[in-house]
Amino acid sequence: MSEYSPKILGFLCNWCCYTAADSAGVGRYQYPPNMRVIRLMCTGRLDPSFPLEGLATGADGIFVGGCHPGECHYIDGNYHALISASLVHETLDRLGINKERFLIDWASAAEGPNFVKIITSFTQRVAELGPLGSAEGLDQEEMRIKLTAAAETARGRKIRTGLINAGKEMLKGGDFSRETIAGLVATKCDKALTALVG
Amino acid sequence: MNEHAQTASATDISGAVMVVGGGVAGVQTSLDLTELGYKVYLVEKSGAIGGVMARLDKTFPTNDCSLCILAPKLVEVGRDPNIEILTLAKLEGLSGEPGKFTARVRKQPRYIDEEICTGCGQCTLYCLKQIGNDFNENLEINHVAHIDYAQAVPTSYHIDAKACLRLNYDTCGLCAVVCQAGAIRFDDKEVTLEIPVGAVILAPGFGRVSDEVMSKYGLGRFQDVITAFEHERLMCASGPTGGEILRISDKKHPKKIAFMQCIGSRDETCSNNYCSSVCCMYAIKQATLAREHDPDCEITLFFIDVRTHGKGFDAARERATSANNFRIIYARPPQVEDVFDGGLLMTWATEDGRHHYEKFDLVVLSQGLEAPDDAQSIAQAIGIDLNEYLFAQTDNYTPLATSRPGVYVIGAFQGPKDIPDSVTQAAGAAALCAAQLAPARSSETIKASFPEERDISQEEPRVGVFVCHCGINIGGVVNVPRVAEYAKTLPNVAYASENLYSCSQDAQKVLVETIHEHKLNRLVVAACTPRTHEPLFQATMREAGLNRSLFEMANIRDQCSWVHIHEPEAATDKAKDAVRMAVAKACHLTSLTEQQLPVTPSALVVGGGLAGITAALAIADQGFAVTMVERGKTLGGKALLLSADRYGNDPRQAVQKLVNTTNKHPKITIHTEAEVAAVSGYVGNFTTTVEGKKGSKIINHGIIVLATGGRPYEPKQYHYQESAKVLTQLDLEKRLATNLPLPKSTRQVVMIQCVGSRGDDLSYCSRVCCGQALKNGIRLKECRPDLQIMVLYRDMRAYGFLEDDYRKARQLGIIFNRYHVDNKPEVTLGKGKSSPLHVKYYDILLGETVELATDMLVLSVGIVPEDPTSLAKMLKVPVTAEKFFLEAHVKLQPVDLPVDGTFVCGLAHSPKSMDETIAQAQAAAGRACQPLAKGFVTPVPIVSQVDPELCIGCAACETFCPYKAIRIYKEGKKRKARTITASCKGCGVCAARCPTMAIDMGRFTMDGIMAQIHAFGAGIAN
Repeated sequence: MSEYSPKILGFLCNWCCYTAADSAGVGRYQYPPNMRVIRLMCTGRLDPSFPLEGLATGADGIFVGGCHPGECHYIDGNYHALISASLVHETLDRLGINKERFLIDWASAAEGPNFVKIITSFTQRVAELGPLGSAEGLDQEEMRIKLTAAAETARGRKIRTGLINAGKEMLKGGDFSRETIAGLVATKCDKALTALVG
Repeated sequence: MNEHAQTASATDISGAVMVVGGGVAGVQTSLDLTELGYKVYLVEKSGAIGGVMARLDKTFPTNDCSLCILAPKLVEVGRDPNIEILTLAKLEGLSGEPGKFTARVRKQPRYIDEEICTGCGQCTLYCLKQIGNDFNENLEINHVAHIDYAQAVPTSYHIDAKACLRLNYDTCGLCAVVCQAGAIRFDDKEVTLEIPVGAVILAPGFGRVSDEVMSKYGLGRFQDVITAFEHERLMCASGPTGGEILRISDKKHPKKIAFMQCIGSRDETCSNNYCSSVCCMYAIKQATLAREHDPDCEITLFFIDVRTHGKGFDAARERATSANNFRIIYARPPQVEDVFDGGLLMTWATEDGRHHYEKFDLVVLSQGLEAPDDAQSIAQAIGIDLNEYLFAQTDNYTPLATSRPGVYVIGAFQGPKDIPDSVTQAAGAAALCAAQLAPARSSETIKASFPEERDISQEEPRVGVFVCHCGINIGGVVNVPRVAEYAKTLPNVAYASENLYSCSQDAQKVLVETIHEHKLNRLVVAACTPRTHEPLFQATMREAGLNRSLFEMANIRDQCSWVHIHEPEAATDKAKDAVRMAVAKACHLTSLTEQQLPVTPSALVVGGGLAGITAALAIADQGFAVTMVERGKTLGGKALLLSADRYGNDPRQAVQKLVNTTNKHPKITIHTEAEVAAVSGYVGNFTTTVEGKKGSKIINHGIIVLATGGRPYEPKQYHYQESAKVLTQLDLEKRLATNLPLPKSTRQVVMIQCVGSRGDDLSYCSRVCCGQALKNGIRLKECRPDLQIMVLYRDMRAYGFLEDDYRKARQLGIIFNRYHVDNKPEVTLGKGKSSPLHVKYYDILLGETVELATDMLVLSVGIVPEDPTSLAKMLKVPVTAEKFFLEAHVKLQPVDLPVDGTFVCGLAHSPKSMDETIAQAQAAAGRACQPLAKGFVTPVPIVSQVDPELCIGCAACETFCPYKAIRIYKEGKKRKARTITASCKGCGVCAARCPTMAIDMGRFTMDGIMAQIHAFGAGIAN
């Protein structure tokens, strides 16, 4: 097991986390070399299927990094990212996969050290969980097939309509806490998810 | 590749402007000027632009990282072909006349060729001689061959001639040996340049209060007394302690910190009887960050007055104070002593006359702003007047003009000020230069021109991969040859190779040749970060006839070799993965059309007060048509209610003059008694319906300036309108303009500050009322020296040079007494009409409540904005809870609204004085004219696109778009969404939410990202 090195895929927003990652480099802060990065302009671009697809295709953990709440370069894209993230968490939960394999967190452009801290501890956590399925006691191949199906569902109209409704209520309610958003998504997408995974 | 856009202008006026000083003000004005069509020579005395803002850790009130918001502007300046940066340079003389100046600039040698230096840092690594690191306040060391800071522009190192071993002793010279680019030039010489320019903008920033003044407070005597600038660097992650606030003496975290305000400010003993206007804010910011660094630390701030008078500042201060449990003491400790068993002893007297003493671990001196050290030599060289404090002399109604025509001043040299005000003035001065040099617009600017783009839509992807060594920055860790070899094995890669420095000028040539030779149609550069270098390579692609959207970068330095220094194998694997993922994405890139949307070259200004007419004039003087809409019958607005400014001049005359000029201006059309009824369109193409008495009119315009103004708060407190003896300051202004302002019998006048403001009714500070009370108090005293005047105040916010008025008022015998918000003065009316009023207030010195009979009570009432709701709804621009328009960025875009093409100035933005209003209106004009001067707008092609076949018209995208850049339209009976390309900023929320996947993003397509994800997985499979 000591040879095991987790595979992590990261989605970083251009304005905060990607910049934080760059500034960590400028400051020569060292962190584990496990993550591969996909740059997005905003975490709001995060399609709920991306993290699921990432896990299906071989990642043991997925990280999404954006601007701090209230500091999004595009006003509120990171709140919409929380909607997508909630769906991912909900899906993982229902598939019996440890939710900690998917992390969404924030580091401002100035917070290179904070970014390093987040990535270091996430990498450690995923390493502890081991390869996808091992901590869960699930068959990896089977899991990846299920995740592929989940990603496909996340691109489908039913789930996305649920996310739209959750997003509208989030904006109406003005409460952007993770718990509230997770609750909204769980309610609005319940049917569609049940149809997928039970 | 560059050519003159216009060979010569019809006049002999120069189309170039010299900007002196590369701080945020100079940087912003340079960028604004080139956008308006003028060439800029940016003269900076140090080795890099960035100024003080680059040294700040965070900025008040948002605590945004200072450098992060500044750095993109610095890079932009560095890249702009129309800005020539002259570092280590000084403007030494200015001859000629406005429009045709000759500027004499002396430039010191850098000893490292800026054009060749790649910024790899080898010279510093091998440099034997150490010097203090000025950027880090000399709290750590640097080398003689150095770059001022990591993000410095120009990204070129330089050698400190005073300490270099080679230059002084003819030894060492190691840097020249290790510099692989061969950029070291020990024979570099000082040069004097004669540069023809049409105008000059001075932005030299500020000087520091001398150490001598600060030694009184222990600086230099006790290690743990530090300046705020030092504290700023200690807080900063890139600072000398890596972002830890440590005492200098024992490198321990201080547990008790004191911030001392007004060091070298409001202090006649050091001849600085002005308020530095920024220290209250930065101290609160620093205290907040100190709290973040150490939740258990005790933090005390000593104020004379808390002057947080800017927009949103009071609210931010209150939040910070309560959230962080700061102790606020109104006192000015006269000195700091050290005591036998360690610690710093401070003694102070509070306003009730009691004495206190206490020990602290760390004392931070909130050092004031002085005129620049070389203010006098600048003034002499250029021939401008200074005020008594050696700041540039300006006039209330032309706040950005110096005494010499054609020479403007912005930023702290114009008077101590913060970043937003400096940035505002920067845009304002650019507008004034643009007007002055209007005939020469675009005469000296060059336009990058490129060959026609090749149509690659029918070609199979042929990707070229260039893997950069970045000297040893990447190559020292990552096995670059192996990565390049690996790239060759990837699908669709037609060519792969290594570069020593991909960003060097010669590498660009190689890239172009290789693209042609191998018929490449996509380019991947594996090097540093796209955030800084993508534009460079994209320009190279354009040179090679490829669309710039066909480019992708793999970040193998900042996010790979630099962060996995000790794991070369893992770093090499990571680099290979990054390249594979970039290539996968590149295969899905398509040429994106850069839309050039035409602009209607005219402006709409809403509001005909001082802000509106100033903005209209500044736009019209640049040669653009302006339509002005004013609700009232005449122009001039609320400024006409003032009868004197603080210099004794009558503002009504000055404003009337502006009104007359506006009325007569051939480029300005005025609609009075009219209102905006509807607005549609986007930047460059607005259509507005103006409803007036004479019916409605449709106006097409490119931009819109909102100058809807404000009005005085109408007090319900203190028996206003119940007694003729209760006035507002504006009522008093009116009386002061008459022959007999006061009945002879008047003996006592009381003024109450903050009536309606600061939580009384309005949550905010109205900024101008303290100054107005001082001015009117002095006017009263001057006509009736025997009059007793009492001012009841909370904090006298006599910021900047208004402090002079505060001192004068006290010297004239006006008495000031602070009241607490929980214990406001009470007023009772007398029995008869002529009997005096009684004011009950808590006398701080006596320590008891006293009652004062007064013949007149003057209320300093706040400013309320005119209701912005309907305009805000029409334009989809945000307003604050206080109903002021909310700017795009409080620090760096203070007059831009978040919707492109919309701008704000004057009281509609926040309460402000006349000179500030004028500067801000000129700024709005400067920003607003940029698209007009350009003639077109080019949205970045990362915008969303809707596939109408898939769209079901659910309007989710319209609901979620933060910029209202996607709208539903009807196509027959069907509803479809459509992107308004000019408004879209490319965040992608619409694409992530679209239920039918009908929306995709330019360059960040579904297919492209999926390909990246799958390429990530493919590596694992291997």
